[in-house]
Amino acid sequence: MIQEIAEALAQSWSNFTGAFVLFVPRLVAATIIFAGGFIVAVLARRIVRSTLVSLRFDRLATRTGASEMLRVADMPSADRLVAKIVFWIVWTGFVVSAVDALQFEPLRGLVQQFFLFVPRVLLALLVLALGFLVGNFVWRATLLGSVNAGLPGARLLSGMLRLLVIAIAVVMALEQLGLATSVVLTAFAIAFGALMLGLAIAFGLGGRDAAKQLLEQHLRAQQEREPDATPHL
Amino acid sequence: MDHQSTLSDALLRQLIAVGQVDILVGLPTLNNAATVTDVVRAVHVSFARDFPRLRTVMINSDGGSTDGTPELIRSSSLSEADTLLTSHSLRTLHRVLAPYHGLPGKLTALRTVFAAVELTQAKVLVVLDPAGPATSAQRVTELISPIARSEVEFLTPCHRRHPRDGVLVTQLVRPLVRALYGVALDEPLGAEFSCSGRFASHCLERDLWEHEVARFAIDLRLRTEAIAQGVAIGQIWRPPPTGAGARTTLREAVQQVVLALIESLRAHASFWTATNGIAPLPTWGTEPDGIPNAQTWDYEAVAGQARHDIGEIHPLLEEVLDSSLLARIIGEASASELRSDDELWVKTVYAVAAAARQGRIGAEHLAGLFVPLYLWRAAAFMARAAHETDVAVYQGLESLSQTFLRLKPVLVDSWSAEV
Repeated sequence: MIQEIAEALAQSWSNFTGAFVLFVPRLVAATIIFAGGFIVAVLARRIVRSTLVSLRFDRLATRTGASEMLRVADMPSADRLVAKIVFWIVWTGFVVSAVDALQFEPLRGLVQQFFLFVPRVLLALLVLALGFLVGNFVWRATLLGSVNAGLPGARLLSGMLRLLVIAIAVVMALEQLGLATSVVLTAFAIAFGALMLGLAIAFGLGGRDAAKQLLEQHLRAQQEREPDATPHL
Repeated sequence: MDHQSTLSDALLRQLIAVGQVDILVGLPTLNNAATVTDVVRAVHVSFARDFPRLRTVMINSDGGSTDGTPELIRSSSLSEADTLLTSHSLRTLHRVLAPYHGLPGKLTALRTVFAAVELTQAKVLVVLDPAGPATSAQRVTELISPIARSEVEFLTPCHRRHPRDGVLVTQLVRPLVRALYGVALDEPLGAEFSCSGRFASHCLERDLWEHEVARFAIDLRLRTEAIAQGVAIGQIWRPPPTGAGARTTLREAVQQVVLALIESLRAHASFWTATNGIAPLPTWGTEPDGIPNAQTWDYEAVAGQARHDIGEIHPLLEEVLDSSLLARIIGEASASELRSDDELWVKTVYAVAAAARQGRIGAEHLAGLFVPLYLWRAAAFMARAAHETDVAVYQGLESLSQTFLRLKPVLVDSWSAEV
């Protein structure tokens, strides 16, 4: 009996030491990958940041309206944000590699999945950037067009249009990432459809006469109010 | 580029039939039935009476008039009195009608006329404004003669204005063009002008005609082009504009003018950044006596609109103007008193011009953004001028011109800065 217990303990110890001997080098390797990855990620962040600064990326961000949105959201400047994103992508890649180096059975294949996911993240970021660009252009054009046409609520109208364009871009980006695709798409379709239907009912049915009268009055007043250029030329 | 493609087959045939000419008068029209007959008659009397030995042609480029303008031109004939005056003509008086089918506006009409100048190898081109001041044969001759005698290559009319008249010209275009281009040009926006065939050919080679922005403000673009090319420029006294042309809204006019200014500044940057001072221009004719009346407009209503619009576009102004400049503009627009500081106005104009160079915002958007700023300035100028004597207002205009000149280095520096 005692003999059997001793053998079991010896076997366990032998298994433990065997596993430990196998695990330690993996742990060391994972630690090196982890620490090295952090250094590489920091370096990548600095390089990206200085490159973006030299390319005057902040101007592009200002022009697209991204800077303003980031400021409102209390987020760092655009070049810092891109550098941070690069840092986290690089470091996450190394962290995943480090975990993979430990060869935990449940986490096998993580590296492969991660590197398959990265292009989708980049594509989603590109879609978002384009969304900001288009959204800001639409906002600017609508604001100026409305103001110079004498339309009331120019800021509200232009702001809503910008929000709509950016919302579409966000939905497209989330779809690209595969995050809660059906929920996001359905929610967006319902919200957008409800908004359009509401507007259509409000203007086309419920307040048809009032809307017609309002528009006619506004256009007439606009024509009468709009000053002629002749005395200025 | 084949400029003959600008001309329709029918016009090409007519011009070939006319052959080479010495003087070509272009008459762009759009619903000018009320005045065009007198203009045509004046042109023909001028040709026959004052240039009987020269080959002449008048080309009407009509933009699709619906009031019978082309028919009136076709059927207009010399009256008995005119016939007596013109009986010594040694040449056929050619009259060509050329409806154009391009984009509406003066740009297409002028391009047709310029292409005709090149085809007919005309030495003198005169462009008349059918809705402009009453045209007499004498005035047509005055526009032709200095060019025909090679005394000058580009002749632009100047008018005796009331100091409160033409605020867009006096507060923006004239002082800006003078300060930047270095010549004392009075009327950068005038619709009439005359020039040499050589300058017309030069303009055809330039990309003046490709830009949508130049569609309506081509007159300004042609004048700045002439200055930048070192063409000999002169002015000629003419009666004040009647304002009988096609109605343009103030906001549209401001946007078109700003777009044309931006286009000119971009095209001639190497010229105006190196120019100093303001040189006087030789002037023909006699300065008319008396000051015409200024047209009145409700500047308080315009100020109210401008105040509202500046508040609306505040986030856009933040992108173009630095914070201290914007704070002062907002301060002025928020004050109960309607006023605008000269230096602040000039700095604002230069900041918008610099933004066009830096490309932070598109030229069309800059022009739209500038409208409320101009409306405020115009209203503030009128409010101040309403309580001043004419002499004091004239002095104020001269002072503004000097402020534009004094602060020019600010624009030159920001324009020359690396983008």
